[in-house]
Amino acid sequence: MKKAILLTLALALALTGCSKGLTIFSNYRRIENIELVRAFTADAREDGVLVSIYGTAGEENDARMVEKSGPSLGTAMGELLMMPLGREAILSHTENMLIGEDMARSRLNECLDYVERYSETRLDIGLLIVRGSSARDLLKGLSGSDPSAADVIAGLANHLDRVGEGTVFTCREVAVSLLENGVALVQCVRGVEEEKLFDARGDLNIEPAGFAVVTEDGQTLEFLTGEETLGSLLLLSRLRSKNLDLTVEDAVFTVSLEELKTAYEPVFDGDGALTKMKVRIAAGAKLVSLRGVADVTEKACREAVERALSERLKAAAQAAVARSQALGLDFLDLHGVTARKHPGKLAALGRDWSEIFPALPVEVEVEGALRRTFDIMDSPEIAEKEEMTPWEKLTESLKDN
Amino acid sequence: MGKADGITQRQLTVLIFVSLLSPMIRILPTSAVVFAGRAAWLAPLPAFLLGRLLLAVMDAFGKNVPEGAGLADMAQTALGGGLGRAFNVLTALWLTFYAGFVCRSAAERLLATVYPNGSPAVFIVVMLLVAAAVGAGSTKALSRTAEVLMPILVGVLAAVLLSALPDVSAERLLPVTLQDGKRVLYGSLPVFNVLTVFVYFLYLGGRVRKKPGARPRRFPWLAGLTAVALGVTFFTLGTIGEHLAVSMENAFFIVIRNIKVFGVVERVEAVVVAVWVVTDFIFVAALLMIVAEIWRTVTGAKKCAAFVAPTGVLAGVAAFFIAQGVFDFQKWSDVLIPAINLTFALVLIPLMCAVGKLRKKY
Repeated sequence: MKKAILLTLALALALTGCSKGLTIFSNYRRIENIELVRAFTADAREDGVLVSIYGTAGEENDARMVEKSGPSLGTAMGELLMMPLGREAILSHTENMLIGEDMARSRLNECLDYVERYSETRLDIGLLIVRGSSARDLLKGLSGSDPSAADVIAGLANHLDRVGEGTVFTCREVAVSLLENGVALVQCVRGVEEEKLFDARGDLNIEPAGFAVVTEDGQTLEFLTGEETLGSLLLLSRLRSKNLDLTVEDAVFTVSLEELKTAYEPVFDGDGALTKMKVRIAAGAKLVSLRGVADVTEKACREAVERALSERLKAAAQAAVARSQALGLDFLDLHGVTARKHPGKLAALGRDWSEIFPALPVEVEVEGALRRTFDIMDSPEIAEKEEMTPWEKLTESLKDN
Repeated sequence: MGKADGITQRQLTVLIFVSLLSPMIRILPTSAVVFAGRAAWLAPLPAFLLGRLLLAVMDAFGKNVPEGAGLADMAQTALGGGLGRAFNVLTALWLTFYAGFVCRSAAERLLATVYPNGSPAVFIVVMLLVAAAVGAGSTKALSRTAEVLMPILVGVLAAVLLSALPDVSAERLLPVTLQDGKRVLYGSLPVFNVLTVFVYFLYLGGRVRKKPGARPRRFPWLAGLTAVALGVTFFTLGTIGEHLAVSMENAFFIVIRNIKVFGVVERVEAVVVAVWVVTDFIFVAALLMIVAEIWRTVTGAKKCAAFVAPTGVLAGVAAFFIAQGVFDFQKWSDVLIPAINLTFALVLIPLMCAVGKLRKKY
């Protein structure tokens, strides 16, 4: 009896798919027969979709690009994954998906649906729209052997966060935003023939190209300017870092944003009408470099830098708000902010948000603060001219403060 | 059933907890979000209170039941020989069908997530073979298995949920207002529906060694399951929001698939699949054991083991023929099974106990 039970229990091993001979599933794969696809592209064609991946093939692991078209993303990918490189391509570790403008305009939902539905893909695949060329051409242009195209694209995603020129929203974030707001932002990139920041061997480099605004119905595809993209990052609390050049009198201060806090306050009048949205941004910055003559130990000088910083960020935020309202698309999720802060008052408005939002006054206040100048307090020119003792500098500083 | 196969109250509690993890993780968060929207993460709380109430009622009914008697004995005592047997047969048939449903749902879940090219038949057959082998054994062995596995299951679930924390956004969980109260109550029904399944485990009550004066300790499993339900719903909703969650069959699994720990460890869903398989196996084995216990009482046989294999075969038939495709199966899962379950666990069985009390049979 015990032997029979053991034999029965041993059948459970077949569930694991660990043995080619015994396994009951087709999920078994030998490591040397699989190709992990880290990035793929999709472009709309008249007769369907063209998908491309770049991988290594053959015994010598030659890098090459393979592509397949089909009436839908599912059919094209289905064929591409099984045939291309002499090994089975799998999407379990895909990091980024690049789609052409036409694909974003007409088939964005199909892309998201594929990622959500396919059992191998993760929802946290970064989504990028390629501007100015097809996604396939960009992938081909990037495809030097060292670093790989996938490395270049992944490198750009990190680079974006560090330089504050955008951020790669994942398929999950885009899908959630489309479902909940009807609109989403998607990071755009373009291929450039010069300034090879990442890719030494391919024909093209890749650079950020602001955000695209896409809608749930797939009818809208608008592109934000650099200023509007910066404003959107600020207002969505997605700006991690950004260096800004601020001109104050004759000096140019390069500051790096380090602490950002965005707070919203919907304002209702006595009748319960939403009169305006107050946005307060607190931006802390550190001085990275200074060109020209300026004395940052002087309070007046620092205040001037902070004013310039505030104005610069305010302009960006206002530009993003203005574009959002002009399009009538709440990609900054002001509705969500209002719903979270005052759900009862919002429900009592009795009007659709799409009617309220375009004309809603949005008041942006930015409080910039220069928090750190590192060890060098003065610009070199000042330091050369002044010969104050440390004690004199300290008392002067105390007087200022 | 000899003394040797007796289990402690604690072991029964652990068996209930581990078994009910399976349906709890399967239905949540989608079934709660359908009713409660983004407030669904609060739905387990009213379900806990309703479950506590049902526990109190069942404990009150079972207060004077003699040691060695389970619900099947109570039914035959309360309703009389003929009617009591009929009631037990009806319950046994339902639980056999339910065991088949649990097998099929386990298979469908594996197909939808990790084995798209597999066939449900393979999972059903293997699951039933293993569960029948264990179900024909001692209750003690099954309970001990559950006891050993429980800390692992809880540890894995806690680790996985905590790893998902960086993706959780308050924006997807709020606002929740008083106006959502009614929706939260509706959302708690699917959770409560799972909690009511504990009633069937009282058929194993005759195997529990009672210490004089000791009170049943069922509160911990109820609190534990509520915490799991809360965690699964909270983290899933906080990560993908109500609209995406409601459109997905296995939203919790999709969230798990996205987990990355410090950018080093990823694709940890295999451990969640292991949790599913283990809990499904324990649950099915326990159901087969319960059904066999009912048949033993009905027939007056001395041992249960002989009833396990036929029950497993019938459950397998039910699993194969319950639905042709996933859409038919979904109808069973969303409407018919919960309705039949609530009829038995919330109406018929408590009613049977109440009749026994009124007739002063125990």
